[in-house]
Amino acid sequence: MARAGGGWTIRGLQYGFVAPALVLLLAMNIFPLLYSIALSFSNADLVGSEFSWVGVLNYKIVFKLAKYAQALRSTALFVFLAVAIELVLGFALAYALRDRFRLKPLVLTVLLVPMMLPQAVMGLFWKLMLNGNYGALNQLLAALGLPQPQWITDPDLKFFSIVMVDVWMWTPFMMLISLAALQAIPTYIYEAAAIDRASPWRVFRRITLPMCAPLLGLAVLLRATDALKQFDLIMAITGPNDRATQTLSALLYQVVFRDGKVGLGTAYSYVILVLVIALASAFLRYMARLQQRENAA
Amino acid sequence: MKWLRVVFVGLYMAVGTLPLLWLGLTSLKERADTISVHPKWLPALSQHGPEDPRFSASLEAYRRLGEVYAGADHTFYHYLRNSMAIGLLSTLASVLIGTSAAYGFSRFAIPGSKDWLFFILSTRFLPPLAVVVPVLMMYRQFDLQNTHLGLVLLYTVFNLSLAVWLMKGFIDEIPRAYEEAALVDGYSRWQAFRLIIVPRAAPGMAVTAVFCLISAWNEYGFAMTLNNQVAVTVPVYFAGLQGNVQGIPWPQVCAGVLLFVVPIVLFTVLVRKHLLRGVTFGTLKQ
Repeated sequence: MARAGGGWTIRGLQYGFVAPALVLLLAMNIFPLLYSIALSFSNADLVGSEFSWVGVLNYKIVFKLAKYAQALRSTALFVFLAVAIELVLGFALAYALRDRFRLKPLVLTVLLVPMMLPQAVMGLFWKLMLNGNYGALNQLLAALGLPQPQWITDPDLKFFSIVMVDVWMWTPFMMLISLAALQAIPTYIYEAAAIDRASPWRVFRRITLPMCAPLLGLAVLLRATDALKQFDLIMAITGPNDRATQTLSALLYQVVFRDGKVGLGTAYSYVILVLVIALASAFLRYMARLQQRENAA
Repeated sequence: MKWLRVVFVGLYMAVGTLPLLWLGLTSLKERADTISVHPKWLPALSQHGPEDPRFSASLEAYRRLGEVYAGADHTFYHYLRNSMAIGLLSTLASVLIGTSAAYGFSRFAIPGSKDWLFFILSTRFLPPLAVVVPVLMMYRQFDLQNTHLGLVLLYTVFNLSLAVWLMKGFIDEIPRAYEEAALVDGYSRWQAFRLIIVPRAAPGMAVTAVFCLISAWNEYGFAMTLNNQVAVTVPVYFAGLQGNVQGIPWPQVCAGVLLFVVPIVLFTVLVRKHLLRGVTFGTLKQ
């Protein structure tokens, strides 16, 4: 029997390794969640004055008022568009950059820079660049003789402008994970395919794509959860109360911190939470199945 | 097909780096040139007319980062120090606590470990705004609002799920034989962890640190709602300049952002070799 050291029993030490992480996660996630269940049935406000219980009133408001459902639809569209474009662009970049070449480290570093920048500040900077009158983008388009839309004031366009900024910032992340996935495919599989004279398209469809799928799925999951929480860019570019770009986080911020309605805000965040957890666990199950099939093959 | 790849990457690089180039150019301008209706894209050493594409370039904005801007309480460097203290401490804590937990889950048969790991992952899905109000109440209770410690604690916890999962991938790949040999030689478990595992997991810890640092360094939502008076970080400071009577000092903001990203870029370059292995989360067995 090995000694644990420092007077610890083996069993105690096992838990000693995992306990700090679990205690912190439970304290900072479970406690706030339990606490906010209570808040969601009250009319508590932000300044902390006396509050009373209002039953399911907050939940009724959330399901009745159109703006809550609208924010959900906006968010779903935002997540879908941003993640889909980032996945395609990021994977295409990684696929194009898969072989070694002399400047590869430099090219990769430059490509990764956008995801290292603070979104809240870059949102402001993009607002400057997208300005209809003195923005750099429209000046460039004018020089090229192209039309110059009002990127951030046109209500039909500003939502897509924010998607574009998100794509600029986070395509590098998709590229990074795609590169890792491509690199993990053993070369002997490609060699075997070459002996079989498989066409490049067939190799891509039958080998490259399926072997990258599990990791790409994980990348999509991570990116989707982040896009779902997207707040910094919206806050900087259009503010939290713009109907055209009001996603979940923006609306929550507006309700809780501008209107001060904590009870209503927490009720809404519970509805979101249930949806997110349902979606995420469905996705994780799908991923697990995908991986099992991969291992069996 | 090779030309197609070169063209695609070249095109993406050209479009994708233009905003970065503009960021650099803006940091060299005077404020009036940053919002000029005539494009100002050519740095020059002297003044030119309003319709000339040339603008007078200087490092004035970088120098003025050392001054207190109207409406702010401190200079940029004060906020940078806050960001550094909070970012570094929380990164260190996430990596250490995450590595220890990853080792526990990797090596011991902990009851319900699958469920615990799923719980750890699931905390990442939580929209931060869903917990911000109760956290705010809790922080008021414990006097953690507007403190460095409050944000350190929060960022540590938010990065923990990533740290545990990344580190588990790395530690799973270290053969058990190393520690078993050490245990036979009379090392205690703790010594084996410290002297055998940690040095071998160091590249993984560095990669994990990069990811934790990027998110803690750039976090805005919590920093703005919980800490908008004391321990203000750089993103909150710059974003707070919006709505300022004198307008946003664009040259200083751009200069500040560029200085702000330098440590992250350097750190990433240092761990570049291990970065790709890190992001597989141990899902791929070679």
